[in-house]
Amino acid sequence: MQFGIFSVGDVTPDPTNGTVPTEHERIKAMVTIALKAEEVGLDVFATGEHHNPPFVPSSPTTFLGYIAARTERLILSTATTLITTNDPVKIAEDYAYLQHLADGRVDLMMGRGNTGPVYPWFGKDIRDGIALAVENYALLHRLWREDVVDWEGKFRTPLQSFTATPRPLDGVPPFVWHGSIRSPQIAEQAAYYGDGFFHNNIFWPVEHTKRMIELYRRRFEHYGHGTADQAIVGLGGQVFMRRNSQDAVREFRPYFDNAPVYGHGPSLEEFTEQTPLTVGSPQQVIDRTLTFREHFGDYQRQLFLLDHAGLPLKTVLEQMDMLGEEVVPVLRREMDALRPAHVPDAPTHESLKAARAASAAAEVEA
Amino acid sequence: MTRRSLVVVSAGLSQPSSTRLLADQLAAATRRRLDADAEPVDLRDHAHDLTNHLLTGFPAPGLERVLDAVAHADGLIAVTPIFNASYSGLFKSFVDVLPKESLVDKPVLIAATGGTARHSLALEHAMRPLFAHLRAVVVPTAVFAAPEDWGGGATAQGSLAARIERAAAEFAVEIERREPPVVVDPFNEPTPFSELLGGSS
Repeated sequence: MQFGIFSVGDVTPDPTNGTVPTEHERIKAMVTIALKAEEVGLDVFATGEHHNPPFVPSSPTTFLGYIAARTERLILSTATTLITTNDPVKIAEDYAYLQHLADGRVDLMMGRGNTGPVYPWFGKDIRDGIALAVENYALLHRLWREDVVDWEGKFRTPLQSFTATPRPLDGVPPFVWHGSIRSPQIAEQAAYYGDGFFHNNIFWPVEHTKRMIELYRRRFEHYGHGTADQAIVGLGGQVFMRRNSQDAVREFRPYFDNAPVYGHGPSLEEFTEQTPLTVGSPQQVIDRTLTFREHFGDYQRQLFLLDHAGLPLKTVLEQMDMLGEEVVPVLRREMDALRPAHVPDAPTHESLKAARAASAAAEVEA
Repeated sequence: MTRRSLVVVSAGLSQPSSTRLLADQLAAATRRRLDADAEPVDLRDHAHDLTNHLLTGFPAPGLERVLDAVAHADGLIAVTPIFNASYSGLFKSFVDVLPKESLVDKPVLIAATGGTARHSLALEHAMRPLFAHLRAVVVPTAVFAAPEDWGGGATAQGSLAARIERAAAEFAVEIERREPPVVVDPFNEPTPFSELLGGSS
């Protein structure tokens, strides 16, 4: 099982003292956090993509290329890559290029983006969100798998005899996750391709998340990629830890109360009860995260949100130490012990490359 | 015909509330004509959860049960106090978090209370268009209760009672001529991908 963190890349004032990081400070903080992820033994760092303030990560492959050069093991991913407003040709090129630089340590999570005004800046319309996600990904999927593509669709200039370069590393396209919180169409899309499905459950009740994941699993089996319990599922998590759970609650409350997403709404107590947010001791985080498996089945990737709501970098790094030293080793051991043998790990470049070699060998024998 | 279900939403703020009293009388008059259960919902009890839903995008468990009940109900009785010439903000917040299409073709009886009879047309210029927008079937008689309607004992008398009976009769007929609503679950019946892919290659 893979564990990691995902960052939205928001520039948010620290509500306890009004400090606002500059864009430069925030970008450098994201670098520090990504490097720390490898240092504390996490498997994945995923960056958001945004093209509007107060967010900094507008250029994910620039960022991930830099991280690739300074890490050895960490899988570089996105949360999410905007499949709606980006040109699928550019996504094909950028991430294949990144694959080469990172020696395959790359996957992506597709998302639509939910900010209406962003779409027209890129010549698109949010009302076409699902249709864009479907058509653009269909093209991207072919660009990574076919050397020469002729293509015509509704949203983009047609392509004739087009070859996306560089070709994916070892002929293996990056593994793709599709992220969606409440669109059954995207769970359907992930299932159709046999891709991964990531539910960013952090702001949502378990019952809702369950229905989305059950739909994806059922349709994954329907499309012949394996049994429902072999579908590739990723989940979010949102935690704040201190040794003593009362200290965690006291310290996190002002950040919660003023957080951009849910601030000034439900109380911290209501929100921790209704969503996966866990504010407490490392043991409480372990216990809560283990319930995800009970609710959603054995799953392959767990990403935590730690750097948001104006939390200082120092605090975030302390959280990462606890995550890496106390939480993830236990979760890894427990989840691996509980997972039946027929449930696969999340695909990596190496596993996909081996699978490709095996199927090529099988073809030669046949 | 199987037993029908009514949800009776009242946006009154005080306790006891004349808005709730009017809602109860409308429900009782309907049930005299129709074999139905009536679930009363005081929006006051869900006021915080309504705000939280607007901010977080999901309902707390108690509010979710109410929203489900509305979607599955055979008919909705909706009663609001009139504030500043329209439905109250609390009432509108509730309407704003109703899941899409949950009122399509649903019989709705609208009613309101107010401090003066001069507000009675708010039912026609605010409530009725709101529900028309949601493609509900609003019965022709809308019931407004002003202070003078309640009389000394706070019970419906005279013309208010007549209006309640007429509205309930219209409402019961609209419910009876319909099959119970079918609530489509997009998570159980996804649009197949071939259909989503449509014409694109």
